[in-house]
Amino acid sequence: MKKLLRRLFVLGALAGAVYAARSYLQRHSPGKETVQIVFDDGSVRSLASNTTEGQEFTDIARKLVETGL
Amino acid sequence: MAERSGAGTAEGLDGVISDLRALSEDIESCAVLSGDGDLLSSSHALGVERERVGAILAALVNLSERLARDSGKGQFSQLRIEAGGGHLLVVRLDGGGVLAATTGQEARVGLVLYDMRNSRGEVQKVLAEGDDR
Repeated sequence: MKKLLRRLFVLGALAGAVYAARSYLQRHSPGKETVQIVFDDGSVRSLASNTTEGQEFTDIARKLVETGL
Repeated sequence: MAERSGAGTAEGLDGVISDLRALSEDIESCAVLSGDGDLLSSSHALGVERERVGAILAALVNLSERLARDSGKGQFSQLRIEAGGGHLLVVRLDGGGVLAATTGQEARVGLVLYDMRNSRGEVQKVLAEGDDR
């Protein structure tokens, strides 16, 4: 019984550690690239949603996607 | 529904937009904004909502132009934004206007942009004909 409880405790601790690591990585990973702009010279720039510039674009685009053009 | 620039231009734009939507079924709504910031064609009827959409789209075009200028790239030619459970796609026209479309989340965005780029010439042709009148 004692052995079983110890195993359960270890499993619980492992699950907790995995959950904590996943949450940490999600919070600190770069935002999903939601904006892609192509310039006349053919170059492309992508803006992540967690940047100020990216946020400006997505805020405006959200309104247009929701209401339609 | 198009407005301004005469009945011929309005009908012409409606025809091009209608053809584009028939070609690209993923498009949910479509609009043409002139270089002056006037909404020449939209799925919204004349009124407050249409004016609002025109103003928001014009703000987005200004923002894109500013980014292009600040990046030293001259002009943008295409814009693709994923937001609000869908995509907003913008293709720039000669003279500073844009052809814009919205799609759902699961749309084949590359294909829609391809069709929009192919329709760009037709839109520009209709606008040029309207200017000649």
